[in-house]
Amino acid sequence: MIARIGRWFNLKVKNATYALGFFNNVIKETVLFVKQKQVGLKVLIMQIYFTGVEALSMISLIALALGVVIIIQGLSLLPSFGQGKLIYDILIIIITRELGPLLTAFIIIARSGTAIATEIGNMVVDHEIEAYTAVGINPISYLVVPRFLGVTISLVLLTFYFNFFGLFTSFLISQLITSVAFTEYFQNLLQALQLSDIISSLLKSFVFGVIISIVSAYNGFKVRFATTEIPQVVIKAVGQSFVLCIIADAIIATIFYILK
Amino acid sequence: METLIELKDVNVLSGDFPILMNISVKIPAAQSTIIMGPSGCGKSTLLKILAGISIPDSGKVFIEGKDYYSLSEKETLLFKKKNGFVFQDSALWANKNVFENLSLPLRFHYPELSQGQIEQKVKKALKFINLIDSIYLRPAQLSIGERKMVSFVRAIIAEPSIVFMDEPILSIDNEMKGKLLGMVKKLRENNCTIIGVIHDSIITSMIADNLIILKSGIILAQGPFHEILNSKNDEIKNILDEVVKKPSSYDTDILDLMNE
Repeated sequence: MIARIGRWFNLKVKNATYALGFFNNVIKETVLFVKQKQVGLKVLIMQIYFTGVEALSMISLIALALGVVIIIQGLSLLPSFGQGKLIYDILIIIITRELGPLLTAFIIIARSGTAIATEIGNMVVDHEIEAYTAVGINPISYLVVPRFLGVTISLVLLTFYFNFFGLFTSFLISQLITSVAFTEYFQNLLQALQLSDIISSLLKSFVFGVIISIVSAYNGFKVRFATTEIPQVVIKAVGQSFVLCIIADAIIATIFYILK
Repeated sequence: METLIELKDVNVLSGDFPILMNISVKIPAAQSTIIMGPSGCGKSTLLKILAGISIPDSGKVFIEGKDYYSLSEKETLLFKKKNGFVFQDSALWANKNVFENLSLPLRFHYPELSQGQIEQKVKKALKFINLIDSIYLRPAQLSIGERKMVSFVRAIIAEPSIVFMDEPILSIDNEMKGKLLGMVKKLRENNCTIIGVIHDSIITSMIADNLIILKSGIILAQGPFHEILNSKNDEIKNILDEVVKKPSSYDTDILDLMNE
């Protein structure tokens, strides 16, 4: 029993050390990638296209739906307590500070996180990673860094877009229920919006981008021999990304609460 | 005779199962060394360790007398620039077309080459192997034999001085085989070091200077080709007979064979 616990603990320590080494390698290669003009530049552009541009329609739909829910629930409840103006604070808290970054991250986990883990897993099985190594191309530098940068940059931009689109469409939806002037609506929103909300939103999206890209790539590289391992690592990548993003969200929210 | 690559007491494990045990070999420069042995005896693993693609669990790898794992990034890159690797299962990059597969090693190692020069080089190579019409096809759209030829061309397109080959003529038709043999012969004429896992008696008799006989992860014999070929050891004789099937054709000049 004790021996089994010892083996389990050893394995966990080994995996954690390997994961930290992987993270360290990605950061080191990212610095070099930015410094030098790399052949991986095209991969970076493609990653921003797949993660950022192709996710726009889905992000728009979800931001719109969230705006609809907040406006309908808020405007049907708050005025009865004489707290109609609170709707602006609620919009900022839910869309900008909390759900904007988190929902965008969830969409990116489902779309790009799974794609990265699957693609890299397949490359391992088909010996494509070995082929890069044989040529002298560092797979971390050529495959992981562009995905890391692409996902992180896209996530920050998509969160910004989610916030803007969610707040703007919530105005359009509010026009169906009540008649608030455009300028009054946005003046109230800007009054409710603090600089810390914007910083918190962008910081969260940046951290989520780092988590999703590295966790997905790391799990992709954990495939060893067979394609049957790929769905297993994809499930792990999705689960770990969800959990780590929510933990990071809670930590950042707590830090901002303490600093306030 | 200058030693290009040397392995000292190399061991490779898969879990608890030994793949290679206490392997010590010396690969001479500007000669051809062929690795032979029954299926699953660790030939491909040995080849990948010699090429610096796989890392052994223990033991040392020396390139031109220097510890491979202590080389600087620049020195490693220089070694990779000098070598090409033909994979048993082609290992072409699935998300790139034939042109991109062949141009990447050139773009990576020779950034000074213009797009026009790269195109010219790639097209010339593809014309030679009759695959110019497939230049913009993805590997999945090619036959296994065609993929193998593209993989061979990818390994030699940057004119390396060391070529590693893992079963280069497996699954290719006779016409392609003739062309490939011509290319291998040219490599030898240019004093290229060839290290290969080859089970074809024709290509072996054409290029082999040295043989390494492997069985169950252990080296049974290594040395000059004709010395091993005339070995009185029954185990070695059996392996040569079983693995290659055509021992009678070893001493036949390939040009005679091709002219027949």
